[in-house]
Amino acid sequence: MSVAWQFYFSTLLIYLAVNVMAVWGLNLQFGVAGISSFAFIVFQAAGAYTAGVLTLGPSTNASFQQYVGGANLPFPLPVIAAGLVGGLLAGLVGLVGIRRLRTDYQAMVMLVISLTATYLADNQTNVVNGPAGLSLVPKPLEGGLGLSTISYQWFYVGLAAAFCVIIYWFVRRYTNSPLGRATRAVRDNEQAAAALGKNVFGLRMIAFVAGGVIAGISGAVFVEFIGAWSPGSWLYPETFVLFTAILVGGTGNNVGVAVGALLVPIGFLESTRFLPNIGYPGFVDALQWIAVGVLALIFLWFWPRGVIPERKRRFPHPGEKPVGLAALRLLRLRR
Amino acid sequence: MTGDPLLTVVDLHRSFGGVRAVDGVSFHVERGSTTGLIGPNGAGKSTALGTIAGALRADGGSVTFDGEEITALAPMHRARRGLIRTFQSSSEFDRLTVLENLLVGDQSHSGETLRSALLLGPRSWRRHERDVVARARELLDRFQMSDKEDEWAGILSGGQKRLLEIMRGLMADPKLLLLDEPMAGVNPTLARGIERHLERLREAGLTMLMVEHELGVVERLCDRVIVMAQGKVISEGTMETLRRDQEVLDAYLVG
Repeated sequence: MSVAWQFYFSTLLIYLAVNVMAVWGLNLQFGVAGISSFAFIVFQAAGAYTAGVLTLGPSTNASFQQYVGGANLPFPLPVIAAGLVGGLLAGLVGLVGIRRLRTDYQAMVMLVISLTATYLADNQTNVVNGPAGLSLVPKPLEGGLGLSTISYQWFYVGLAAAFCVIIYWFVRRYTNSPLGRATRAVRDNEQAAAALGKNVFGLRMIAFVAGGVIAGISGAVFVEFIGAWSPGSWLYPETFVLFTAILVGGTGNNVGVAVGALLVPIGFLESTRFLPNIGYPGFVDALQWIAVGVLALIFLWFWPRGVIPERKRRFPHPGEKPVGLAALRLLRLRR
Repeated sequence: MTGDPLLTVVDLHRSFGGVRAVDGVSFHVERGSTTGLIGPNGAGKSTALGTIAGALRADGGSVTFDGEEITALAPMHRARRGLIRTFQSSSEFDRLTVLENLLVGDQSHSGETLRSALLLGPRSWRRHERDVVARARELLDRFQMSDKEDEWAGILSGGQKRLLEIMRGLMADPKLLLLDEPMAGVNPTLARGIERHLERLREAGLTMLMVEHELGVVERLCDRVIVMAQGKVISEGTMETLRRDQEVLDAYLVG
């Protein structure tokens, strides 16, 4: 494979990893807890920004870009901080948007928050440096490793994959637990769940904050790779691309939504890149947004459970042999 | 009427706009009894039930459950004290299986805490889960629904959903079960089935308060009946005595 193609594929894989993490986070909020989290991109952007400024070093008057909270932290710390900021922000948004509101109004509040955040970031130049945002964020460990550009690309693919593994482990533990089940019950019928003593708000908040943490981490992994951040690249339509990925992949199914992330943001949007330029400049881009919307509608109408639907969780009967992964674990114990 | 009241409702009020749906209702439910709440359409029965369960806020009056005033408590806190309700419209968790629906009914699952589910992991709740699953399977067996265990709850028939909801409520180990028209919209055969199950719960000593339209059912199941019309209690007693009560007959004929 030529270097150019290697570069292209490795970049694509990193984008995929970022999107897969993001849909896992959004799936906790939307697929598991039933919150129409239309402000999701804000948590991702906040995480990305946090990671950026914590890598760039302190902002000085002499430097060409101004930002708040700059520091020079070693590699995994900016990502961890990004997760904390994403979670914290989700907690704040949740307090306003989830408490005492019906789910359709929650969706509206979230969308408005997303729009407000963009305007704020663009126009309050002293906060996040306005539309210019951040640039020249150094890549993690790049200096120390002494790798060639292309080797570093593959190194970062591995790094992003490692984050995916950790997050998958977490969301799986979450969704397979009784906590996840109670949260899905709230999603299906909030009143009935409350009538069984479930803390509807509490269960939603846990999922919402956990989703925010994951969003922050995914944003950090992205910004540490591309080295730049600006409000204009985190607009609300990006949230809908992730929603479409979830609807296409299979709402509520962790594997399904990951496949959705492969199909929609990567497969669908990337393949249209190779279309010939027709119409005025930007016409194909505009068509992409329309196509994503149509795709979401088609799935909602005709295939609401998605390509890999949420699976039934079965429980072994007493004396029954465990199947699948549980059987593997048993083998390991015997050895 | 003496005895041991589990639920006492005093001068309960609830309006919607200008309509006084519940207008000064007082009654009590004795421990171990099955009490019927009947009345013509629009009498305020379901509103009264909703206010007792906490889904609706009371405008005035008080609800005392098991010696504690609960008028201001949120539904989840009432449920945690053993006041469990079912709904008039089917309210299953449709994208959970039948068995999972029942598991959610368990009130004190250790695996539903943040610490246990996310920090400590499956080892910390697996044993509890096994016990709850066993308890749910017993219920399924008793209600002859074992073959539906792994079915999505959303695809059950109307009658099966009713049974599921009653079972789910039983998983919560209720002190008082509030039933809002448990047989509404169910075919007669299944309705008889539900009635038989309720009969058995009654024999087992469970306290129940049910809103029901079918007077035959009320007569067979309920020890005592409260009649509501236009937001007020107009009569109470056994079905037998009520049948002779002119006001009750009028309410049904006019209402």
